[in-house]
Amino acid sequence: MFPLRRFRVEDDSMHPELQPGDYVLVNRWAYKFRPPAKGDLVVVRDPETPDRFLVKRISDVPDAGQIRLAGDNANRSRDSRTFGPIDLREIVGKVWIRLR
Amino acid sequence: MSLLYLLARWLDRISPAPIAYAHCDIPCGIYDPHHAQLAAHTVVRMVDLINLLEKPGASATPEQRQEYTNKLARYIATKEQHSEIAKNEIRILWGDYFKPEHLKTFPELHDLVWKALKTGSKARQEINLQVAEDLLKATNDIASIYWKTKGFETITVKAPYPTERLTVYPKFK
Repeated sequence: MFPLRRFRVEDDSMHPELQPGDYVLVNRWAYKFRPPAKGDLVVVRDPETPDRFLVKRISDVPDAGQIRLAGDNANRSRDSRTFGPIDLREIVGKVWIRLR
Repeated sequence: MSLLYLLARWLDRISPAPIAYAHCDIPCGIYDPHHAQLAAHTVVRMVDLINLLEKPGASATPEQRQEYTNKLARYIATKEQHSEIAKNEIRILWGDYFKPEHLKTFPELHDLVWKALKTGSKARQEINLQVAEDLLKATNDIASIYWKTKGFETITVKAPYPTERLTVYPKFK
């Protein structure tokens, strides 16, 4: 499995860090060597809509198997405040670089 | 615009990048248990008004009977509507707002909602002050849990309505 995967960003909940139209390169191997940490920017599978991806920031790591997510732009974000913590397995990878 | 950005955009022609949503569903998370509490207060008030209504005696005139019937019908209709509003608002909180993680923290929630809906039905069926007050209590208990999930303390005080029953309000910081 090639470690890098690119995604195009849509919507506004990570403004100003990410803006609609940006690309992000995601490292799918990032968490093979270390556990996810609070503050990491990650792409995850949407827990409420299969086949869709979300890009959010890790707001908390309540235990070894789960993370909580939050948008930087809290007023305009659907995240763990609505869908709860998510499984580590749902993480696609950590955002490595942003292209704008 | 960086060179890598242009490369990524060019790659889209060959194989489009999947989209990562920094997503917001509008309307996101606009819920409030106050609607249910308010409707329950109205039900209590209607039962109070019905009980205060003087029943026409044997010597009542047709006009007095008509006036009584008119008032009674209006109070009952309002009691019906607002019991249903309370039930609907509780269903919205239950179906759309509360999540499995809330249920883990408040395992009593399932039973509470279930009983609240049944009490709402009973409040429609009967002219029964105890049932109307039970409905209000159920909406208060749900409100108390709702505000805890939002990280707010609550206070329980007499409502500033003619019903004057105890009501749960959030303590906004």
